[in-house]
Amino acid sequence: MTAYKRVQQWNTFARVWHLYDATWQNPFESAQRIMKYLKGLHKPIYHPLNDCGDHVVVINSGEIALLGDEWRKRVYFHHTGYPGGATWTLAWELHDKDPTMIMKKAVYNVMDGNLQRRYTMQRLHIYPDDDVPEKIKQNITNQIRQLRPVPKRLDRYAPEEVQRFPKVMDWPKNYILR
Amino acid sequence: MVFTSLALFVRNRGPDEFWRKRKILKLSAHFYGRRRNCYSIAIRAVHRALVSATKGRKLKKEDMVALWETRITAGCEEHNMTYPLFREGLVRCNILLNRKTLADLAVWEPRTFKSLVKVAHARVSQDGLAGVTELGDPPSGIITRGMLK
Repeated sequence: MTAYKRVQQWNTFARVWHLYDATWQNPFESAQRIMKYLKGLHKPIYHPLNDCGDHVVVINSGEIALLGDEWRKRVYFHHTGYPGGATWTLAWELHDKDPTMIMKKAVYNVMDGNLQRRYTMQRLHIYPDDDVPEKIKQNITNQIRQLRPVPKRLDRYAPEEVQRFPKVMDWPKNYILR
Repeated sequence: MVFTSLALFVRNRGPDEFWRKRKILKLSAHFYGRRRNCYSIAIRAVHRALVSATKGRKLKKEDMVALWETRITAGCEEHNMTYPLFREGLVRCNILLNRKTLADLAVWEPRTFKSLVKVAHARVSQDGLAGVTELGDPPSGIITRGMLK
């Protein structure tokens, strides 16, 4: 193997670090997309036996959005292995306890249950907010496109911007806004 | 072999027992444990292995097709294209490349693959297939057979 070929090999199989902002994103649909990058399915050199998966850093996992009343209806099951050791935790309870857990389980569950799954999960780094350790932040070179654009909330606009927004009419002076 | 009577001819069970078993034991030579040398166990293991080999000939082809499709999909997504639209665009341009060739091009000839994606993109957006609007603007300066009307 020549020096050129060796460097080409390193470059081909070099791990890329991707950033994914989970703000207001559906974790279960995001998991499908994140899984592709973790397993290396986005590269034409993919093969189940070659180790070409990338790292994914998920930020703002505390800000994920579940559909409808999923927060109250989705249940996470756990069994300690002892008799009577079964517990059922609602999604909002789990999210209160650990804001990264729903995202982590979503990604874990979309992957096939083979021996590689635990090692692939080690390349996933989830943070509940945008506070990422410097050591991890300096590796990131790419950003994964979000599933949908995040709309700006009304209370995040400056009061002047809200005032300047075109309106059809002014409320009458004696009209009481509730 | 010489048979002195009809009864002895009927009793005869084909070729010599040693060589008959030898054929089977040659097939089980790489097995583990008693399945390798004990004939009655070896014959069962050999039958099983031959069944698996028969099934495997079909499965191997299916596995390769699935792998090629994964690779082509990955190559397409690098250029913001989907696999079904890509194949449809190529067929409509009369570029009849199979999955194996396309996957090889995606790995070893990325520039060629990119130009194929461009050709397919131009064709599907000209024909206005469902889902082309998500691909973005069609590439300019691409002219292929069947596009000039």
